[in-house]
Parts: sequence; C-alpha cells; structure tokens
Amino acid sequence: MSKSVRSPIGIVWRKELKDAIRDKRSVMAAMSYAFFGPLLMAVAFYVMISQLTDPSDVEIDIKGAENAPALINYLEQQGIVERDKAWPAGQQPIELDIGESWADDIASATPAPVTLTADFSATKQRSDIRRIEQAIEGYSSKLSFIRMQMRGLDPRVVQPIDLIKQDTATKGSRSAILMGSVLIFILLSVFFSGMNVAIDISAGERERNSLELLLSQPLSSHQLVLGKAFAASCFAMFGGVLSVVLIPIIFRFLPLHNIGISVSIEWPMMLLMVLMLAPLALFATALQLFVSFRAKSFKEAQTYISFLLMLPMLAVFGVEFARLKNPVLYYLPLTGQHQALLDIIKGEALQWLPLVVSGVVTAIVSLLIIRFIGKMLASEKVVFGL
Amino acid sequence: MIQVTELRKQFGKVTALDGLTFTAPEGQITGLLGPNGAGKTTCLRTIYGLLKADSGQALIDGIDASKEPLEARRNIGIFPDKFGLYERLTAREQVAYFAALHGLDKDTGEAAVQEALERLDMLAIADRKATGFSQGQRMKVALAQAIVHRPKHLILDEPSRGLDVMSTRILRDLLRELRSQGTSILFSSHVMQEVAALCDQVVVVAKGKVAAQGTTEELCQLTGESALEEAFVKIIGTDEGIAA
Repeated sequence: MSKSVRSPIGIVWRKELKDAIRDKRSVMAAMSYAFFGPLLMAVAFYVMISQLTDPSDVEIDIKGAENAPALINYLEQQGIVERDKAWPAGQQPIELDIGESWADDIASATPAPVTLTADFSATKQRSDIRRIEQAIEGYSSKLSFIRMQMRGLDPRVVQPIDLIKQDTATKGSRSAILMGSVLIFILLSVFFSGMNVAIDISAGERERNSLELLLSQPLSSHQLVLGKAFAASCFAMFGGVLSVVLIPIIFRFLPLHNIGISVSIEWPMMLLMVLMLAPLALFATALQLFVSFRAKSFKEAQTYISFLLMLPMLAVFGVEFARLKNPVLYYLPLTGQHQALLDIIKGEALQWLPLVVSGVVTAIVSLLIIRFIGKMLASEKVVFGL
Repeated sequence: MIQVTELRKQFGKVTALDGLTFTAPEGQITGLLGPNGAGKTTCLRTIYGLLKADSGQALIDGIDASKEPLEARRNIGIFPDKFGLYERLTAREQVAYFAALHGLDKDTGEAAVQEALERLDMLAIADRKATGFSQGQRMKVALAQAIVHRPKHLILDEPSRGLDVMSTRILRDLLRELRSQGTSILFSSHVMQEVAALCDQVVVVAKGKVAAQGTTEELCQLTGESALEEAFVKIIGTDEGIAA
C-alpha cells in the first residue's frame, strides 16, 4: 500500500472535523461551556468569599454604654460599634444591654449582667453574634486574669487543660470541598463540548439523508463510526482542555487566600488532567453517538442526549454528596477520573495504578460501544428504521 | 455485470421483492421501470448490500454484496434514492470525500474530482458551499460523487428527478458516454420517456416481480402497442403510479 492511500478512519475524521469547525454553532457550544461554567463558579465563589471574610464593623444597638466605657472601648477595638442607622427590613436587631450595676459589680467582683438580645437562629447574623460573644468572653477572661494577679494567684490555675489543636488539613485539602464543584465542571466539559458535533454527525447525517449513501461506500460501518467518534472527541477535548487551562487562571483572580485556601495547579498536573480527560472524551462521544444514531432527527437526538447528560452528573454528584468511599470507584470510567482529579486538587499523592487502569477501562468500554454502534449500523432495521 | 437471481425480501407482511431475476450486462443501460412501490429501490439497496435479501442473491461481477460488501462496493458508483449534501462543504470537497473513501490518493483524487466536475459542467459552482444549491445542482453533486472513482457499475435510483432540461441532457450524455466505455448501468425510473430514450434493455417490475423484459421495441411488440407507455400499462395491468 502506498503512503498516500489514507485509512478510511482518517478520511472520515478529517472530513467531519472540517465540517464541524465550519459549524459556528458547534464551535460556540464547545467554547461557551468551557468559558461560562468556570466563570459562573468564579462569581459564586467571589460572593461567598466576600461574605465569609467580611471585615467591616459589626454595628449593634448598645444600651447603657455610659455604664462601662472601658468595655465599649474594648468592643470598638474588636470591631463592634454602636449603631446609628435603623436596622434593614427583615433583620432582627442585635442588642447588647449593659446593666446599671456594672461599675458596682466590677468593683465588688460579682458577675455583672450583660444581656445579648438577638435572633440566634438567623443564619446571616450568626457570624456577627459569634464575634460579639467572643469579644465579651475575651474581655471577661482579661478581667479575671487581672483579678487573680491582684490576689497573688497564678491565672493559670483556672486553666487546667490546654487544648492544643493541630490542624492536619493541608491548605489544599481545605479547598477540596470548594474545588469539588469545580471538578464537576471540568469533567462535564467533555460531555458538553462534543455534544453538538456528535448529534450532527449521527442524527444529522440521517436527517439530511446522507447516511444511506455513506453506508454504501467501501468502508466498514465500524471504521465510519470510529472516524466520527474521533472527530467528536476532538471537540470534546477542545472544551476539556479549555476548562482545564481556564479554571486555574480564573482562580488566580479570586481572593481565595482570604479564606485560607490555596489553589495552585502546576503545568505538569494540568497536562496530567488533560491526559485523563482524553479517554473520557472518547467515552462521552461514544455514548452520545450511541443514542443519537438511534434518533431520526436532530431534535430527537437532543432530547435523548439531555437525558444522557444526567448520567455523568448523577454519578459525579452522587459520589460527591454521598461521600462514597469505595475503592472500585477509582477504577471505573468517570468516577475513576473524578477521584484522581480530586486527589490532584487536594494535593494528595496520586494513585497511579488506579489512574492508569481507569483510563484503560474507559478507553476499552468506549471502543466496545463504538464497535456496537458499528454493528448497529450494519443492521437494516436501524438504518432504515424498519 | 450485475446479476440478480430470485431475490426475495419481506418487510413484515409486505412482500417487497418476490423472486426478482434480471441481469445488467456491461456496456448497456438497463432500466428498471415500475410504478411506485414496485420494489425498485429495495432491489437497488439489496444489490449494494444495504438490505439483506431473505433469499436469492445479487452479484456484482460475481461478488455478493451481502457477503463481501466492501469488495462489491469498490466497483460501483451509487446514486441513491435519498441523498443529502453536507451544507458546509463545497461541491468539490464533497466529491473529494467520496473519491478518498474509494481509496483514491491525493493527486489521483484531485484529478478525478476535477474531471467529474468538468464532465457535469459544474465548475462554476465547484467551490461554493452546498447551502443554497438548487435541486438540480444538488443532483449534479450526487452524480459526481457516484462517478468520481470511475466505477465499472453505476446504480442510479431515479436520477433525473428535479433536473432541468439542460441538466437532463448532460445526464443522458454522461450515461451514454459511460456505456461506451463499458460501464454497466442500472437505473430505476418511473418516467417513460427517459427509459425509452436511454435504455438498451427495460426490466418492468411490478409487485416485486419481473413483469416483462426486453428492449423498448420488444416490449411494444409483445403487447401489440406502438408506444412504450401503452405497453407498460398493459404489462402491469394498471396505470397507477406512472408518470409520462
């Protein structure tokens, strides 16, 4: 065979890729998901972080401030100040009431009543209320230290236990919960990005009546499906690579360090993620071709595929939220890549064997599905919808 | 040569082919004439192996497409019942795609595509995308796809539908030229004039069977009619589904 005679798979692949690249709708679909998914996450995170790290003063109503100027001073240092504006609608006022007997109680070393009135179940105000409690407790222990020292006692006698907290969480693992949701975007990007192309080259081929002639050419239906699957996978990978590259860039602009999270994904890791996505892209495409080759029109295929998209979502979200920890998950298509991506993001050691096994299993399953589609297209029942 | 022997095909309760037998020899144009639903398209699809016959066989130069589909398809050009173009590809790219699928390498392929486009008088639209092509222009692209690899057999399913006068002439000239080069051409039609004007041999199909076979003159003699149309009506016993 001479060098210039090309494999039918390559011919189909090249033609489908050329066709798809000229289809603005397909290109836009592949790009938009990779762009807007991470962008949406970024906005959500930005709002969350700015809420968590709100450095502004807590403004509350203070009654009887004149009774305890030293306490008020201390509270001010802690960012708790008297409010001069009205409370916004729907927010319960937080009120601190310092008793008139304050000065006498302090002087006579009896507990001075300070009343904190607030809606303790209000989620929005929870962090404010905690700050107030902590400030009061802080002032209280400060006073008790002074009192004991004045009485010639070592203040440490009232502190029998020193609880030492050793946080084993790496900076990475703290971010894992947050990043888990980002991962889902990376994984799903290969399912979304190639979708339009997959429909166009299968159900679309049938809809525009070009399938019959194509199947009558001297190439096997298996070669035809392989060529088409590779073309759609290229689009899926395009979206996948875009999201892998974009997500770290977007996260660089987020003040994640404010909430004690660091996300740094180095180039080799990004490359590894892309490599992991490759068999997954083929898997996604194979599944999509399988359903849309059975559909008679573009519309019908879109309906089927939207159901199909639930599958990876359910798998990923299911594992994420049910906190499943079964070692089998490391070896299966989709969940295997998901677990490995989680490890990468957490900064944990990678389990290479499961990683490779799940990649190979994914590729084999995809090729089996493609072989099955080939068989399906050799059947007149499927081709002519008999 | 295309040989069809005792072809039978059943779709559920409908008998599409009921022991169809005929041959389309080299260097001849064989017309498959029959009313709508007679089994013409089913027959052609069986010949190039897209449908499997329940019994009987169809051979292309001795090769059975149901057993060795790729081998059989290498030697035929197909103009199918339904054809659709890839709207985002130019006419030249579409034809080149099929040339490549037939194993033509880059240089030979390019030359063959150019020749097919010239032959069908399509150079003016060759580098335009198929969106906006007229029905006639689409037919020409499909025809070019069928002949680009210079097949020894050409199978056409109602090739003249939607063609204007000029295009019909081009098609007829093309078929005659290919015939003189030794191609065996099998085409189905329900258009009488076309069959009468072109065919060396007419196979009249009705209800999945060969109702009569021969040259136009032979069929007329057989029925004692002077025009093919009258002969045809007499043969199949009804004038339903025929276009003059």
